[in-house]
Amino acid sequence: MSLAGIAASDLMRRNRLRTALTLGGVAFGVLAFILIQTVISAWEIGVTTAAKDRTVTRHKVTFVMSLPKRYVEEIRRTPGVKQATWSTWFGGKNPLQEREFFMAIGVEPESWLDVYDEVGVAPEERSAWIADRQGALVGDVLAKKFGWKKGDTVKLTSNIFPGEWEYRIHAIYQPLRKSADRSMFVFDWDYLNQSVPERQREQVGWITSRVKTGTDPAALSKALDAKFEENEVQTLSQDEASFQRSFLGMMSAILGAMNVVSLVILGIMALILGNTVAMGVRERLREYAVLRAIGFRSSHVTRLVLGEAAALGAAGGLLGLAIAVPIVGGLGKFLEENMAAYFSVFRLDPGTAGLALAIAVGLGAAAGLIPARGASRLPVVEALRRVA
Amino acid sequence: MSEPIVRLRGVRKTFWRDREPVPVLDGLDLDVPEGSFEALMGPSGSGKTTLLNLIAGLDRPTEGSIEVAGQPIHQLPEGALARWRSETIGFVFQSYNLLPVLTAQQNVELPLLLRRLPRAERRKRAETALRIVGLEDRTQHFPRQLSGGQEQRVTIARAIVNDPKILVADEPTGNLDKGSTKDVLDLLARLNKELGKTILMVTHDPHAAERATIIRKLDKGQLA
Ligand SMILES: Nc1ncnc2c1ncn2[C@@H]1O[C@H](COP(=O)(O)OP(=O)(O)OP(=O)(O)O)[C@@H](O)[C@H]1O
Ligand SMILES: [Mg+2]
Repeated sequence: MSLAGIAASDLMRRNRLRTALTLGGVAFGVLAFILIQTVISAWEIGVTTAAKDRTVTRHKVTFVMSLPKRYVEEIRRTPGVKQATWSTWFGGKNPLQEREFFMAIGVEPESWLDVYDEVGVAPEERSAWIADRQGALVGDVLAKKFGWKKGDTVKLTSNIFPGEWEYRIHAIYQPLRKSADRSMFVFDWDYLNQSVPERQREQVGWITSRVKTGTDPAALSKALDAKFEENEVQTLSQDEASFQRSFLGMMSAILGAMNVVSLVILGIMALILGNTVAMGVRERLREYAVLRAIGFRSSHVTRLVLGEAAALGAAGGLLGLAIAVPIVGGLGKFLEENMAAYFSVFRLDPGTAGLALAIAVGLGAAAGLIPARGASRLPVVEALRRVA
Repeated sequence: MSEPIVRLRGVRKTFWRDREPVPVLDGLDLDVPEGSFEALMGPSGSGKTTLLNLIAGLDRPTEGSIEVAGQPIHQLPEGALARWRSETIGFVFQSYNLLPVLTAQQNVELPLLLRRLPRAERRKRAETALRIVGLEDRTQHFPRQLSGGQEQRVTIARAIVNDPKILVADEPTGNLDKGSTKDVLDLLARLNKELGKTILMVTHDPHAAERATIIRKLDKGQLA
């Protein structure tokens, strides 16, 4: 046995219910703190992983309205543009599972794969997809969700384009960057263009450009919009990083509020710990006095109280981590697969876990400070007299 | 008789309550011969506990000198005094002496934690002490699993585990029934006789006092 042994016996035997409730309180505090911090950092990661060299150009009024396809050629000719491609929103649904939302787009396959280089396709699949006008390229998560395999023929309906549309799945892509949306359904724009009425042809939803190194995407966006200013259809261009930043800007008030909430949670944790430690110490004043009578010093008592308080915080913190790891893991898998636009990386950062644990231990020790001071300063004879 | 093991000269102790002095001990002289078993009696509030605390180095006199086992303890700083207590004095209080979360054996080991002793050695000494008080079959019991008399015997085992010269006992049988009282007094008498411990015991019970070799009475701040 040792001082630590005494502290451990106190924690485990004194008042099990109180210890358990306190541990639960601290564990939930740690869990809440970790969840909030993980959400915050997941959002911030969105900005850092956004493609820094891409600009998206859409109709000035709304992205629901389309652009003339000839704009693509004009953009490709603009200095600073390395490659440009286009996409048209198909509004696709799987008639067998109408409620599942996913992004179905018609694109020009080769340039689209150049620009969206986070989409990873095996070379044979890539050529098979490009060769077949009715071919489809499907994200791995979407394929898994619908049980689709390479070689399947699938039907989609659209809330924009009437009728049933048939596709052959030639390729399933893997994400090459965390920010990739793994649930897209991508097919050849030509298939759509040939099938729609004459007046709807040669229209595209939006145009995405990759800029040359050394070109500022924000400046290019301005230049593109200026180029089309005098045309019948005007454009609005925005680079992906600014788009993410403006999204985060809107969220900054929420992020701030969440940070405040996590501080409040830490405050509550400190109070729970403080209450438990203070009660435990008050009940034990006579025991501490007996220990000091038989030769323990007031510094021993201080260490005993602080050690016990810190151990309580640590145990609660570890319990909280043990709960948080599977929860963040499960939630993260779901969010990364289904809401990659907002939570491309939703993981328990070891730094956050370490911080939460350190805070729990620190708050425990802090909660023990005042009771420890009181217990170690009380004159022995007075403490013995109190309960004798 | 040899040199006294406890020597008090002109000891005064005054407490302060609401700025009013409460004189308790008033210029006390006392010599306790080594190896004696003393009973300290007196009315409630006469200062018996106060006197015992001074001798045991738990409190300091307002005035006067206290020499115990050759050490003028009224001059010792706090830390040295604590160390001195652990080596020289064994304590038995009226009740609640033990840590409820520790077993009898762990409670007895407590004073040994302050020394650099190997685990096995601590264990052996605790077992020996428990054997001396006749509780070798209760080593793994917690205090609430023991009777009041057994608890006091565990306390006595803890008091002797460091082999101190002096045992101080403040109403050690105050909460015990007749049978347990006899057990505890027998034990103290044996420790006095066989191990030569000097014992200072405060008691209200005249029968208990009779077991001592010397009975002293404290009244109005003076020893009679
Ligand atoms: N810390 C203190 N402050 C003020 N007065 C005190 C303090 N400690 C003791 N006294 C007073 O000193 C006197 C002696 O107390 P003490 O406890 O020594 O008496 P006692 O003889 O042990 O009594 P009892 O037989 O009831 O245990 C009492 O009047 C008590 O009120
Ligand atoms: Mg008393």
